[in-house]
Amino acid sequence: MAFLEAHEIVKVYPNGVVANQGVNLAVERGEIHAIVGENGAGKSTLMKILYGLETPTSGVILLDGRQVTIETPQDAIDLGIGMVHQNFMLVDSFTVADNIALGRENRRFLSVDRQKAIRDTEALSKAYGLYVDPTARIDSVPVGMRQRVEILKALYRGAEILILDEPTAVLTPKETDDLFVAIRRLVDEGKTVIFITHKLREVMEISDRVTVMRDGRNVGSVNTREVTIPELARMMVGREVFMQVNRPPVKRGRAVLEVEGLTYANEAGRTLVNHLTFNVYAHEILGIAGVEGNGQTELVEVLTGLRNATAGDARVNGKSIIGQGPRRVREAGVAHIPEDRLTNGVALDASIEDNLIVDSYYRAPFTRSGLLSLGKIREHGQALIRQFGIVTPSGEVPVGSLSGGNMQKVIVAREFSSSPVLLIAAQPTRGVDIGAIEFIHQQLIDKRTEGLAILLVSADLQEVMKLADRIMVMYNGGCAGIFENTPDLTEHTLGMYMVGAEQQDAAEMERAR
Amino acid sequence: MTAQRAYRRLWLALLALLVAVGVTYAISFRILGGGSNLDEFVAAMTAVPDYQNVLLVNALVGISVALFIYELRWNAVRVVATVAIALALGYLMTAIFNLDNANRFTRGEFRVAIESDAEPVENDDVELEYGQRRGDEFNRAGVAEPLRQAEYRFEGRAGDEVTVLAYAANRRSLVNLQASLIGPDGETLASATSATEAQLDAYDDLVSERDAVIENVTLPADGIYTISVSPEPLPGDLIVSETLAATNQAYEAFLLGPLGRVNRWAVWIQDALSLILVGLAIVIVFRARQFSLGAEGQIYLGALAAGVVVLNTSALPGILLIPLALLSAMVVGFLWGLVPGALKAYLGANELVATLMLNSVAIRFFDLVLTYQLKPANVGYVVSENFPDHSVLPVIVGGTQVTVAVFLVILAVIAVWLLITRTPLGYEIRMIGANIRFADYGGVNTRRTIMLAMAVSGAIAGLVGAHLSMGIHRMLILNISVGLAFEGVVVALLARNNPLVVPFTGLLYAYLRAGAQFMERDANVSFEVVRIIQAVIILLITAEAFITFFRRRRSPRRDTVLRGQGPEQQMLEVTTPAAEEKASV
Repeated sequence: MAFLEAHEIVKVYPNGVVANQGVNLAVERGEIHAIVGENGAGKSTLMKILYGLETPTSGVILLDGRQVTIETPQDAIDLGIGMVHQNFMLVDSFTVADNIALGRENRRFLSVDRQKAIRDTEALSKAYGLYVDPTARIDSVPVGMRQRVEILKALYRGAEILILDEPTAVLTPKETDDLFVAIRRLVDEGKTVIFITHKLREVMEISDRVTVMRDGRNVGSVNTREVTIPELARMMVGREVFMQVNRPPVKRGRAVLEVEGLTYANEAGRTLVNHLTFNVYAHEILGIAGVEGNGQTELVEVLTGLRNATAGDARVNGKSIIGQGPRRVREAGVAHIPEDRLTNGVALDASIEDNLIVDSYYRAPFTRSGLLSLGKIREHGQALIRQFGIVTPSGEVPVGSLSGGNMQKVIVAREFSSSPVLLIAAQPTRGVDIGAIEFIHQQLIDKRTEGLAILLVSADLQEVMKLADRIMVMYNGGCAGIFENTPDLTEHTLGMYMVGAEQQDAAEMERAR
Repeated sequence: MTAQRAYRRLWLALLALLVAVGVTYAISFRILGGGSNLDEFVAAMTAVPDYQNVLLVNALVGISVALFIYELRWNAVRVVATVAIALALGYLMTAIFNLDNANRFTRGEFRVAIESDAEPVENDDVELEYGQRRGDEFNRAGVAEPLRQAEYRFEGRAGDEVTVLAYAANRRSLVNLQASLIGPDGETLASATSATEAQLDAYDDLVSERDAVIENVTLPADGIYTISVSPEPLPGDLIVSETLAATNQAYEAFLLGPLGRVNRWAVWIQDALSLILVGLAIVIVFRARQFSLGAEGQIYLGALAAGVVVLNTSALPGILLIPLALLSAMVVGFLWGLVPGALKAYLGANELVATLMLNSVAIRFFDLVLTYQLKPANVGYVVSENFPDHSVLPVIVGGTQVTVAVFLVILAVIAVWLLITRTPLGYEIRMIGANIRFADYGGVNTRRTIMLAMAVSGAIAGLVGAHLSMGIHRMLILNISVGLAFEGVVVALLARNNPLVVPFTGLLYAYLRAGAQFMERDANVSFEVVRIIQAVIILLITAEAFITFFRRRRSPRRDTVLRGQGPEQQMLEVTTPAAEEKASV
């Protein structure tokens, strides 16, 4: 008899979407149970049902063999089920201890006993090895600590089962390691952890058992020891997935992008990009690795014309692109896959067709003698939808109705269709499913082989090492080192540069430039 | 799939066309005189001056309805449902204010008369003797202690045969009376609540069956008798039926008033022309998601520009003068729209605040110029001179202010539609409205586009000003537009910012405005009630439209695909430098 069981869970949303169609889940006491699946496979819905945020259309939930009904999160908490959401539910202006005690405050006369909250937090923190600073305000602590606060909050409410919804999506590799240590400790203390993710490497590293979901059903549950990453990927996608891309060796061409002493300081005067010098050549992918927040975002925005550099220069085919604005930069042959597609990569309410021409609407063939040619725009849209396999009923539907992977394909299609000489791709596969990742990786490699110069920025070190010909590590806005991506280059080596423990000297960098 | 959609589109177009023809016919039939068959209708119609142009405008109304159906599809049902709910609520309100309608049967002047063939008994202590009448007024309005019951005494002898009449004193009084005759011992001898047809014939004083007659009572003894008169208590069903009758009458005036005669129809149409133009102006800025309310000020300056041109260059022939005046109104509106656009684009000034402030500036400037420059010295109130006849917009339906502005509006609708859907500027406006950071990223010059959108919107608002001064008032007056811009917001939102739907929503809204005006005039519903009903309707319509507006605005958050990236992005923005350093170590 498993500790927590869900039988034949069916969830049909009022709009007719079937999110779960007969899901079975069995979690043993004291195990780390990973749930994997592509976006839209129904993982989140299942978890929301277990936490009382949604009620199932049909199906039973058993806890310790006893049937339970969970209609509200309060029911779940009373039953000892806690959840750490992907986007944290914390009050930014409260301290860590206040957040943990929120709603369960110990009252002293009319006021809240904050000292007790702090003592409780410290005790709990020590007991589970989850370090937090009880008196710090939430908005001043790093992301990793916020997550620990969320976990402590659940434990403070007596959680026996902890549901972690994609907990590593917002963490740096170091923070991820810390989290995994903490999860092990929780299990040693007798807690049960349900861990949702779509990163298979993490599944292998942390979990005891894994349940794979696809299209609202569970494909199967297996012991992690008895399965390999390709097997899991196949279960998730339903077909063979080529996790390794074949990067045919090509001789790199001339320098397409030349960056010299590029520096950017924000309005507050903080230098976020510090004197960067590097080249990107035709037939080459230059990967930028680094812990997020070390100036990659700003570098990309300066290079694409969205921000102005404070000093230094960047040239595309010999022409400076600094301070020109996005239009001129694009006209110089630069394409840009933005870091966060929802922020600026797409207009959700606009049609796919309109989204596909934002860089070229003002030119022939789309604008002729001052008027838009709707026919040409439609043709262009249909051609790209076919070519990039965007799954949609038509080109007129708003982009907001597409899945994340298809949305990203719209962006990739648009950026490739302008026949650029340089592609700046920031987090091109973030938050998209395995099928789309495979497709986008293949496209990047193909274009690079055809002669495109690509600057790839990714928080996923694996991705950078898989795709890039050379890798530049950024630390604190500056360049910590530039490496040829040879088989003997290890994650460990790069990691030392990423955290600032190592730094190449100028001569080495110049050689690799 | 595409074929099926084309098929559905075709059916929709056919349905829309059918509705258009029906609407055109129904409106024309009512306004132009009706008749029981087509020949009579045609005869009545051809008697109306400029009936061809009335038909033309009605056809345009029909086309507006068709466009509304074709463009909004199911949303059209929602718009109609919203208006219907608002009207139903308005009906309830009107009913509440008409609840006292039945009370007219309990108030009014009355007379009491006593008749007898016997000899009158003289007694100075009583009010009546045979052959006399007395009267008063029941429940007079505005009196602290209104009269609810009246008693009149007379002295009689045993054997006298008397007849008591209680009747409304005049035609204005609708009081429904009951009367009883009480003997000297306090016993009721007889009572009556109504008069029969025969009695009405027999006694000249009686007015209606509501009066009360106690006929031929033989008095049992000598003594002082009392006649007690009071209004009959109202039965519940009368209160209900009277309330409904009054409400129905008011609502008939409301709903059908604008379709009464050609001049009433014209009140509706000319108001609609202004509203459609303002709606179009608002659509342009709303499409760029700029919450600009500058249209009001632009209307004033447009009116002023048109007025100044007309009054100072009246030597020009109309064919030159009118286009010149219209053009200058548009140019001034354009420039005045550029101001908040530039403030927003270059200084980040909130467009809502900026435009509201600039409205005040524009309106005061208008007042200033009108009062001190344009007002003729010998006129006692603040107006400009009448515009010369050749400078006003030519009227196309005689006796009304339905002018060639009709054609200007058609041009404006087509122009705005082309601008938004078929031009690069329109694409830029739409993309800025959908996601301004996306537009920026794609290379759109967002500052220039925002400025241009606000300026083009201003040009159309300026045209509204010209229409008000040159088409409707034919002079400049203070308060030439009372909040027209804000009504335009409702028109634009109801149309879901679709320029092809604006004509319909403008007509609909103008119809409600005109209807309210006629309800006040015809149905004796006080002005305040009309305003309340109007407010309820506006509130509901606006609430419905705003819900859609804000739901769309919020929609990015509903996307769950990238939820993981949301908070992280946010954190990068709010984290302090110190914390960021901590985080990266």
